[in-house]
Amino acid sequence: MSGITLYDFELDENCYKVRLLLSILGLSYRKVAVNMVPGREHLGPVLMALNPRGSLPILTDGAVVLSEAEAIMTYLARAYDAGNTWLPPAPKDHGAVTMWLQFAIRDLHAAFFARRLAMFDETGDEVALSLAARRAFRLMEDHMTAREFDRAAWFVGDNPSLADLALFPAIALSRDFGIEHEAYPALRRWMRRVRTIPGFVTMPGIPDYY
Amino acid sequence: METGWYPVALAEGLERGTSTGTRLFGRELVVWRDSAGASHVWEDRCPHRGMRLSFGFVRDNHIACLYHGWQYDTAAQCRYIPAHPDLAVPGTIRVATYPSIERLGIVWAWNELDSAAPQEIELAERAAVTPVRSLYVDASAAKVFDALVLAECPPLKNAGGATQRSRTDALVSFKNGTDEILVAVQPLSDVEAALHIVIAGSPDIHGSDSQKRVSAWGEALRRDVEGTPQARELRHEVAP
Ligand code: FES
Repeated sequence: MSGITLYDFELDENCYKVRLLLSILGLSYRKVAVNMVPGREHLGPVLMALNPRGSLPILTDGAVVLSEAEAIMTYLARAYDAGNTWLPPAPKDHGAVTMWLQFAIRDLHAAFFARRLAMFDETGDEVALSLAARRAFRLMEDHMTAREFDRAAWFVGDNPSLADLALFPAIALSRDFGIEHEAYPALRRWMRRVRTIPGFVTMPGIPDYY
Repeated sequence: METGWYPVALAEGLERGTSTGTRLFGRELVVWRDSAGASHVWEDRCPHRGMRLSFGFVRDNHIACLYHGWQYDTAAQCRYIPAHPDLAVPGTIRVATYPSIERLGIVWAWNELDSAAPQEIELAERAAVTPVRSLYVDASAAKVFDALVLAECPPLKNAGGATQRSRTDALVSFKNGTDEILVAVQPLSDVEAALHIVIAGSPDIHGSDSQKRVSAWGEALRRDVEGTPQARELRHEVAP
């Protein structure tokens, strides 16, 4: 048993990103279930001490304490991906993966909020969030369409990378907030490929068939 | 809404054993391809409780509803009800279907449910087509056609002279020299349309390079149609 602990909320897509990578890397870890909604346990003193931002996921590994899914994924890839494929070292691919991780944080943030609005009764501008989420999905669709012209299957390079794992949840869960997959044929094909990655796991809202 | 043949998907993009939901004039359709390679276009509604079949999945030669697992064969006939595994399913339980056909690398549907006698599709098949992409636009089909009939054909392999356009109810052809691009327009709703774009000619000639050029052309057309503000040219201040 490794010393990894994940503070996790089952229905949260950012926690799911980390669970997905941990499973794919074949790492055993201790999972601490946090009742984020409706319990708001992530804002209690214990977790606030670990992560003053008051967000999940949080990962600890020995003395290492990290929050934010993309940062945790980067850490896990560097620390435990022996094949070095999930965060490719070649400058060009490394830069591109980092760009898409940034996209997952910034451009897809609207999708994250749109889902919280729909699932957890939070407040926000539903129309604006949906528009922004669709704009982000369209950029992903255009990118994967272009990739297919080059017979490429993944967002970056010849292998699946952290980019694919970080981008997958928002679109795979988009029906939770009323965005169908009709307009994204290239992303539909890509999502089917993601499901074939050894170690792939689902979460509530993401069926294992597609 | 006129009765006729309308495009609903690019044939190549619809992989075996998969399904997708789409719309024609606001009505929900499920488009799927069975494991033998045949494509089907049905009403996206399970006869059991009306759930969308496109949320379900394809296994072998049937499509299964996500909700209670009723399974339908390629003739849209219900064959299996998990809650009653020994029941001989009555022949009356079937999904309503649209006549459909593949032509020019595109799946077409006749937009009349369970029509006994759709007209012949008038589009002549080509020796080879290169699929480009389906492009979903936030604008009506009429607005898309208005833009298409003014569009120029991007140069591919053998351009020459002016673009010649011709159109039928659902298809626009752009010819330039021996290059030809075909754009089929699917009216999704009053305010959304899909463009299914192919290049006439073999993928050996038009793979990758031409596909990228036509795809970028389509994206520019989408920007125009949706009325996104034109990107202003970057102006570099040059010190005197
Ligand atoms: S609604 Fe389809 S099986 Fe019940």
